[in-house]
Amino acid sequence: CQCTRNPGPGSGSSLIPLFLCITSGEIVVNEVNFVRKCIGAEKSHDDLWGKLICTNFKVSFVTHEALAQPRFQVSNRLLGEHDIPLACVDQVVTVNDAKGKKKVLGSNQKLKFNPSELILYCKDFRIVRFSFDEAGPEGAKKVCLAIAHYSRPADPQLLFGFELIGTRYLEDGLNGARPAGGSQTPLFACSSDWDREIKRTGAAEWRVCSVNQGYGVSPSLPEFFVVPASLADQDLRQYAEAFSGQRLPVWCWNHPNGSALTRMAAITDPLQQKRLDQRICNAIIKSHPQRGDVHKADLDKNLPSIQQVNNSLVRLRHICVIDPFEETEEKWLSSVENSQWLDYVRTFLKHSCDVVYILEGLNASVILQEEEGRDLSCVVSSLVQIMVDPHFRSLSGFQSLVQKEWVMAGHRFLDRCNHLKKSDKEESPLFLLFLDCVWQLMNQYPSAFEFTETYLALLSDSMWVPVFSTFLFNGPKHHDFLEDKKITLGEGEELCLPPVWDWSQQLSITDQALFNNPIYVGKAAPYAHNGAVKSFRRTKTGWSSTLRGTPPALARNGLQGSQGTLPRRNSLAAQLKSDLFPVRDVPESPSERFARDWFSGPADPQGLLLPQLLPSHLALWRLYFLRWVPEAVIPRGGPVTAVHAVSQLAHEIETLQSQLRRYKGPTPGSTPRASPAGGPPGTPHAEPSRMFFKAGSLYEPSPPPEFLSSSFPFTPVGNLCRPNLRGTPISKLLNGAKTWLSTETLAGETA
Amino acid sequence: RSDRSAQTKPPSAMSSDSVSTSAELSPDDDVTMTSCWSHLLTAKEVMYICPFRGPLRGTVNVTNYRLFFRCMDQEPVFVLDLPLGVVSRVEKIGGASSRGDVSYGLVCKDMRNLRFAHKQSEDALKKSIFEVLMKYAFPVSNGLPIFAFEYGQVFPENGWKVYDAIAEYKRQGIPNESWRVTKANDHYELCDTYPSSLAVPVNIPDEDIRRVAAFRAKGRIPVLSWIHPESQATVTRCSQPMVGVNGKRSKEDEKYLQAIMDANAQSHKLFIFDARPSVNAAANKMKGGGYESEDAYQNAELVFLDIHNIHVMRESLRKLKEVVYPNIEEPHWLSNLESTHWLEHIKLIMAGALRIADKVESGKTSVVVHCSDGWDRTAQLTSLSMLMLDGFYRTTRGFQVLLEKEWLSFGHRFQLRIGHGDKNHTDADRSPVFVQFIDCVWQMTRQFPAAFEFNENFLVTMLDHLYSGLFGTFLCNSEQQRVKEELPKRSMSLWSFINSQLEDFSNPLYVNYSNHVLFPVVSLRHLELWVGYYVRWNPRMRPQEPVHQRYKELLARRAELQRRVEELQREVTNRSASSSSERAGSPTRSITPVQTFV
Repeated sequence: CQCTRNPGPGSGSSLIPLFLCITSGEIVVNEVNFVRKCIGAEKSHDDLWGKLICTNFKVSFVTHEALAQPRFQVSNRLLGEHDIPLACVDQVVTVNDAKGKKKVLGSNQKLKFNPSELILYCKDFRIVRFSFDEAGPEGAKKVCLAIAHYSRPADPQLLFGFELIGTRYLEDGLNGARPAGGSQTPLFACSSDWDREIKRTGAAEWRVCSVNQGYGVSPSLPEFFVVPASLADQDLRQYAEAFSGQRLPVWCWNHPNGSALTRMAAITDPLQQKRLDQRICNAIIKSHPQRGDVHKADLDKNLPSIQQVNNSLVRLRHICVIDPFEETEEKWLSSVENSQWLDYVRTFLKHSCDVVYILEGLNASVILQEEEGRDLSCVVSSLVQIMVDPHFRSLSGFQSLVQKEWVMAGHRFLDRCNHLKKSDKEESPLFLLFLDCVWQLMNQYPSAFEFTETYLALLSDSMWVPVFSTFLFNGPKHHDFLEDKKITLGEGEELCLPPVWDWSQQLSITDQALFNNPIYVGKAAPYAHNGAVKSFRRTKTGWSSTLRGTPPALARNGLQGSQGTLPRRNSLAAQLKSDLFPVRDVPESPSERFARDWFSGPADPQGLLLPQLLPSHLALWRLYFLRWVPEAVIPRGGPVTAVHAVSQLAHEIETLQSQLRRYKGPTPGSTPRASPAGGPPGTPHAEPSRMFFKAGSLYEPSPPPEFLSSSFPFTPVGNLCRPNLRGTPISKLLNGAKTWLSTETLAGETA
Repeated sequence: RSDRSAQTKPPSAMSSDSVSTSAELSPDDDVTMTSCWSHLLTAKEVMYICPFRGPLRGTVNVTNYRLFFRCMDQEPVFVLDLPLGVVSRVEKIGGASSRGDVSYGLVCKDMRNLRFAHKQSEDALKKSIFEVLMKYAFPVSNGLPIFAFEYGQVFPENGWKVYDAIAEYKRQGIPNESWRVTKANDHYELCDTYPSSLAVPVNIPDEDIRRVAAFRAKGRIPVLSWIHPESQATVTRCSQPMVGVNGKRSKEDEKYLQAIMDANAQSHKLFIFDARPSVNAAANKMKGGGYESEDAYQNAELVFLDIHNIHVMRESLRKLKEVVYPNIEEPHWLSNLESTHWLEHIKLIMAGALRIADKVESGKTSVVVHCSDGWDRTAQLTSLSMLMLDGFYRTTRGFQVLLEKEWLSFGHRFQLRIGHGDKNHTDADRSPVFVQFIDCVWQMTRQFPAAFEFNENFLVTMLDHLYSGLFGTFLCNSEQQRVKEELPKRSMSLWSFINSQLEDFSNPLYVNYSNHVLFPVVSLRHLELWVGYYVRWNPRMRPQEPVHQRYKELLARRAELQRRVEELQREVTNRSASSSSERAGSPTRSITPVQTFV
């Protein structure tokens, strides 16, 4: 085999890799030459010829010749342009045109025909198709079987990340770089990160406890977590037994008014339930500076289950990428509705708003309760914090939030991503749902987030690159897990996989500029022209004043509290009801009223943000769901063209600022990095621009370049090739089925 | 806000039903501010039954322009500000009850319904709100002037001068070797719904044009709307041919279309886009109309675009109003929206325009566009395709030119479609054709956020004043009527107001795409409901977060930095100049000072 070490896109990103890009620890399993990668649905001159390779990490396609016109694409340092990580492959379908046979391949299966075509359905919504008409039949078959086999590892040890561990990363990182870039993001694996978070939020009556050091109490809780100061370690040890998974109540975050957001698992011991509940509540009340009340939010009761969320995504995937474009067009809106995806997005946002209302409007603490406390509560607790605390809308804040509320809180990424393709029942795209919720907020408040939707999409795609500690485990206790596997290490070497936050593993510094939102209003940036910089705390008092007369109760959505009084009704109004002039019948809940009052004023991007939750205000996240669909690409259009325009302006500001600095010389106390206009601190000469799109000649904004489209920086070319299946459209047969194509149905045809 | 813009600000037609604490909206101020407002009525203790907040008690003031309701019980003060022109109908609800309550509803053209109630007045001499509204909301039906004729506001800009047909033809390079501007319609004798100056093929004499007019419905002959600056492919518009059941032909018409094709050397084909569904086009034969047969018109290809008529559109918008006002039903929002077919109609119109633009741009082929009369769907199609093809129309003034040209001068019947001041709300001639067009424009601005010089506020303001009756721009049905009514003399143009404060209507993201043609994706995957217009009365909807505001702040910041850099540059220059001159003073050096930049 002619494997060559990739020169690295960083050293020559303009080069189109004509050879296989190999990461250390990667082994070629099988390969076949003279394969055609299908670009169009029918036979086409645009199709690419090359070699199809299966390694223990990815499916690679190496073209025989460079493309005529280089397309713009973010180049991933771990993956070539046509590569698909095995973890991203959802289903492997082989087809024999002549015999009219197709088969979904699993691990260790036999294939009784020579495939003429291979279709890979990917978890990131791509559909990639290869044709073998000119390739050796035996070689093609072998590669197909290898892909099927290696994309379904029987054991986590076989996931590529673990192969990697013993090898190169420990020496000098995946790409020859020490994991330094990600170190800015607190991982919450040590007690100091928690201490800092307590200080930042002013949670004086809370403490970091270390009862779980060595995972002695709960295997799925982090070694350090935060509890009410009034609870002693010995109490905690004693209580733990009564909770599902020994998951004690843990602190997530404190509102500036002192109310705390906490989460806990169900109490499994019915005898202890009442007593324990009481104790926990009392402790939380004691930790509130005003002794504010505690409200419990029962998430299992009020939110969809993880299976419902998964089924919803399956339906959405069908209408977005599998069903023929024109056929779905007529019923598009109702199909989107039937997928229920937006419904679920809305439900999670709505529930999070209700929690915000309790914290903010009622000045009370909240316990998010869920059976295991590591799925739905991850979504809700992080959304609440993003809405209230602007820190989590900065890039590093957001990453620390994911680390705190997902990774350390024990979200089962391994199971939910179904990396081992072991149990479909456990699979659920909760993290994607969360990212979608964040996108909705971003869509409504475009200047409130430091990062872009491109960042969210790339983060989501990183789930399927199984080399990051972030998405590979079921809980923070993965160190032990690795030790169990007897992965041998050199003396004194620290055992670790890089977190995804170390973005230099995947992207060049230039490409990382795609993360930066040019219109972000940073903390120190003057938002109002009159010089008054609105701070997080100051705006807060504003809303409280609008809450006069609101009964301190919330009776909806399972958030316990006393019945709220209905808005005063006039008898005349009731009498005058008519069909033509309907008056809203459903009384407004206090939290809705809270939201309405809030909506009547201007929003401060550095203050509280509430999403508008009318169904008409939630949109489909087009960049994520439609990026591969060629028919849906707007050439030189889409939201990115607005980003392009603002980036040029922001870049001009950066240039002017560095000019200023050059005149003045480096100032000793350089301004803290805040807004894009602020620019990062440090030496004025070496600093790279934070903007991906640079201004051309000053003050003359240029039109969007040719490569810009609504899919940017992704390209649909060759990434969505709907299979031309004969007979009944397979998608119709299998509507709503768990898998894209059911194994049973198709396997029968091959007999 | 500068003093000047405060003066030029006309009463807002937009802020209705929004909470306002601003004192400048007080009706008393309005009365004193200008003499054109005549105060008609003040009624206290009136209940506005708000669909969102429940009943609100307050005071109603009615002038000849607007109804103004203010409720002081609420904090902040609740204000409802409604131009009477927006009212489509006023109706009493229920009979007078035993307790002497009167209740009535206002159905509005701008997607809302309002309800008021008050005690029966004991003073029989005093006019009721109902009576006053019935009279002044429908001035045309009651022999009163539309408010635009009394509105005396003076603006620094004169919007009536925005469009000059000859200048616009000249911009396009007309006349040229193939096209001329004819005076055949100088006094509207050829076609009374067309403008006075028309661009026609050079080699067709005026006599022939008159014969063509006889063969086209309402005399609306094919005339040039737009010509491609390079390929000379053209967009021409007309009405249906009067083919009838017997398949009548007209030699002159056939020759005329041939001339249109010949004017473009790049293509030996002509596309005729009939906006209607083929069934409707065929049905028109019974009424003497129809479509071009490909036998009669050699080299022409006829394409039907399947866009439905004004009645279907009216019904669709009525359903949409039911779905969005006052409340959005949560569980079935998308399927309810789908059942109104509103977005599907938008899609078909945009798809039609896209095909036209594509034929002209990519196919370099000339196209003829018509529907039945050529003033509704045809206007939508030609103006939208021109918006895709020509960046000029995507500027604020260019867009005004486009409207003045394709809609106003070519006789979109605004008076009839909107029913200005007319109480006959069931009139079958009413239809939201223009609203639909503006919706399509909004869809384009969504897909190309940096390609338009104007912003969403511009589009909403236009629709608000389509109904408000404050400006003369959208009055009358044709250029002939406007000339006869002396609108430019007797009323203000909406463009006067808009162009006097362009800042409020400009899109800061605008980047000149120069000659780039926009090809929007006309799929329901990208088309969306314009919530900023249709759902704006809902208090649970907040105005778009001011990204544009943020952008303007960045612009200001850049200007500030620029100033500082230049200052420093000057300083450095001066310093180096002075230090060089010092050095130059010493006998050892005699080099001329050189400006140095760091």
